[in-house]
Amino acid sequence: MTTAELKTPTGFDVEWAARAEALAARSGEPAWALERRRAAAAIAGSLSFPSREHELWRRTDFRTLETEIEKLDPCTESPAARTLDDLPTAIRSWIGDHDASALVVQRDAGVVFERVPASLARQGVIACSMGRALRDHAGKLTGTLGALLEPDYDWYVAIGAALRTGGAFVYVPEGVEAAAPVRLFHWIDGGGRLSVPRSVVVLGRGAKATVVEELLSETADGISFYGGGTEVYLGEESKLIYGTLQDWGRNVYHYSNQRARLDRGAELQWIQTVLGGRMAKCNSYFNLAGPGSQAYVHGFMFGDQRQHFHLHTLQRHLVDHTTSDLLIKGCLKDRARSIYQGLIQVSEGAQRTDAYQANRNLLLSDTARADSIPGLEILANDVRCTHGATIGHVDPEQMYYLMARGLPRMEAQRLIVEGFFAPVLDRIPLENVREQLRQVIQHKIG
Amino acid sequence: MTTASTTGIREGYEEKYGFHDTEQHVFKSRRGLSREIVQEISEMKGEPLWMRDYRLKALEIFEKKPMPTWGGNVQEIDFQNIYYYVKPTSEEAKSWEDVPADMKRTFDRLGIPEAEQKFLAGVGAQYDSEVVYHKIKESLEKQGVIFLSCDHALKEHEELFKQYFGTVIPSTDNKFAALNSAVWSGGSFIYVPKGVHVDVPLQAYFRINTKDMGQFERTLIIVDEGAYVHYVEGCTAPTYSSDSLHSAVVEIIVKAGARCRYTTIQNWSNNVYNLVTKRAVAYRDATMEWVDGNLGSKLTMKYPSVYMMEPGAHGEILSIAFAGKGQHQDAGGKVVHAAPHTTSKIISKSISKDGGRAGYRGLVKVAKGATDCKSTVNCDALLLDEQSRSDTYPYMEIEEDRVSIGHEATVSKIGDEQLFYLQSRGIDKEEAAAMIVSGFIEPIVKELPMEYAVEMNRLIQLQMEGSVG
Repeated sequence: MTTAELKTPTGFDVEWAARAEALAARSGEPAWALERRRAAAAIAGSLSFPSREHELWRRTDFRTLETEIEKLDPCTESPAARTLDDLPTAIRSWIGDHDASALVVQRDAGVVFERVPASLARQGVIACSMGRALRDHAGKLTGTLGALLEPDYDWYVAIGAALRTGGAFVYVPEGVEAAAPVRLFHWIDGGGRLSVPRSVVVLGRGAKATVVEELLSETADGISFYGGGTEVYLGEESKLIYGTLQDWGRNVYHYSNQRARLDRGAELQWIQTVLGGRMAKCNSYFNLAGPGSQAYVHGFMFGDQRQHFHLHTLQRHLVDHTTSDLLIKGCLKDRARSIYQGLIQVSEGAQRTDAYQANRNLLLSDTARADSIPGLEILANDVRCTHGATIGHVDPEQMYYLMARGLPRMEAQRLIVEGFFAPVLDRIPLENVREQLRQVIQHKIG
Repeated sequence: MTTASTTGIREGYEEKYGFHDTEQHVFKSRRGLSREIVQEISEMKGEPLWMRDYRLKALEIFEKKPMPTWGGNVQEIDFQNIYYYVKPTSEEAKSWEDVPADMKRTFDRLGIPEAEQKFLAGVGAQYDSEVVYHKIKESLEKQGVIFLSCDHALKEHEELFKQYFGTVIPSTDNKFAALNSAVWSGGSFIYVPKGVHVDVPLQAYFRINTKDMGQFERTLIIVDEGAYVHYVEGCTAPTYSSDSLHSAVVEIIVKAGARCRYTTIQNWSNNVYNLVTKRAVAYRDATMEWVDGNLGSKLTMKYPSVYMMEPGAHGEILSIAFAGKGQHQDAGGKVVHAAPHTTSKIISKSISKDGGRAGYRGLVKVAKGATDCKSTVNCDALLLDEQSRSDTYPYMEIEEDRVSIGHEATVSKIGDEQLFYLQSRGIDKEEAAAMIVSGFIEPIVKELPMEYAVEMNRLIQLQMEGSVG
């Protein structure tokens, strides 16, 4: 038993849970969903903070958050925005001027803005707050909300399921190719917030869509915690491009749990970027549950100062004839630290699996630290599974080449880092988002 | 002579190694572990007080440390059902003729004297807890090379022994290192003086004979500046229906400019828990090489490691793991770059068959300040059927930017095309598969002394028998 295990944070979360439930009941959440909150609250009460002995927590220490978490407020409500102009400027600049996407914007505990263009509405595409979806589309959520991300995963996931505030629901009907992208924003207004949204994305058979999730805030005083969960369901032969981009202010602790399930012949393009926050821990699991399904995962982490990033991916090949291809890049400067922990699992009988996993790390300072833990667990024999990981620094010859052509050192380094990220950046679906990310990267390079 | 076994053993093992002699020992401790047993072992050996105290302290550490919850399943080990010390003979023999007849028969069957005559510079043979035979070529002895059992070394070279013992692997390192530190017996002690090049390998052979026996040998190798030695160890045990425990500690110090190669062909029977801690420290421009072949045992958890302490040090780990029915080989290696300009290489080849589970678990660590390090890791796994399992868990912890670290791993099966090619040339399927497996591990086997390479290939062939239906 570690000291962390002994400190069971029960008691205060009961009070939290009661408040969150009252809030949800007021907004008209159906009884079954309220019941699930209570069940999750009971699970949370029986669990404690994850033990530092646990393989997924040995390298990431949330102690500072854990001592403060009781003081955070899970129910801060912001006034609804009537137009885009009521949203924070930072969000408006990320949205861009000529954006025709569906928008669901969350601010602290609740969704404050929803917009669905007529083209999507006509197609029967749903993009709305989780609260609205629970009232209007409950039938589409009973089997999906909490089915992939089970509340007993760990304490954080349990409180997330009990306190659930906000989140979005995206649904693309069978055979529909969504006419416009769906963008989900999450903004945290300052310190002292605890935000635990749950989102569900469902693509019907043969549907096609692009969904981008953007998590943003400005650095503020006092810790805030984001503990979001996303469940993504890809029906047979459907295709989804899913981007999950994070650029929190430096007061935010981030712990996300994202799960995707792919049915027969489905294809997922997953792009994940981690740029902001004080500490960010992300668990992204891909369940290849139908033959012929394919998951392509690209991601990067760029840390500076004392940022600490921990990305854990799981490529689960549950049946035969599935493909996954993953590339995670990490770049670190100053005293930043990153951990990439990836695992390819091939279940018994999952023959003809083709799985690849690559992790490339670039260290820009001698005080930065990168850990890479790419793993394989293979229980079928007719497979092709490979992984590779590298950790290195900026090639002096490349620097020399650029500087010999008159580029100052910093400029040369900036080009090299941009080039390092380019293969991932190029996959981000919206030009405006790509541009915003480029700016964040440039700003970080300094 | 041989007993019919109830456990599923690997084909061919029973005939060659699975026999056991009637137990004839001059002393056998009671089952179980206690302060009294540890004191008794120390007393039997007539050890100095400091060693007795060291053992007792290690026992306390062992009792406090939790069992590992990762790797393989070690929860079934019943520490109170094990004989910790079995002394088979009263004296260590200096010449082959003096070895008691039954033990001689054992080692004759295993081919020890033959090997010694043929190509070894020195040989040691351990039977249960004690080394029963030790011999080194006179020419080497004259140059000051010491090759003794650890017990003898403690008696004859106490100062040298005390200076290094427990410095590479302290008893607090892990639960099984603590256990070994408490009840260790036998093993080899080697000291190679400055600049001495031992051309032919020194060899030790380990044999568990007694049922429910735990073997805890302790090996300490010191290779002084500019010296070279190659040490080879082999292990077998009879096949009993209950499990045995082998928990060794091997400490190696490779001084400036020296080179040490340590080769293991582990072929315990399928009811031995093989939980071994092996570690070397390499100083300026020194080279440490582990060649680690794991074919036997029920569960092996062994990760030979090299700590590169000064610039220019080089570490190399070549690992083969073959897991057949009921076996779990959790093999691998660790390289720790604790100084700048150090290099390392790990090559791992694992093969799983008949529901066996083989894996690589490794660590590459670059400590702060260890700039300009280079490390490459290559892991290949071959799965021979649908029931088997392969795991790869490489850990990389890098705290410096001016480094180059690479890791690559692949998992595959025997290619149908390769099989077809060989079969179309008239080679039957089974032989073809064995050939492909031999080719797969070739990069490591070629590093073995010729006699061992032949033996290794033969063992692989035995493992492969009846594997392709």
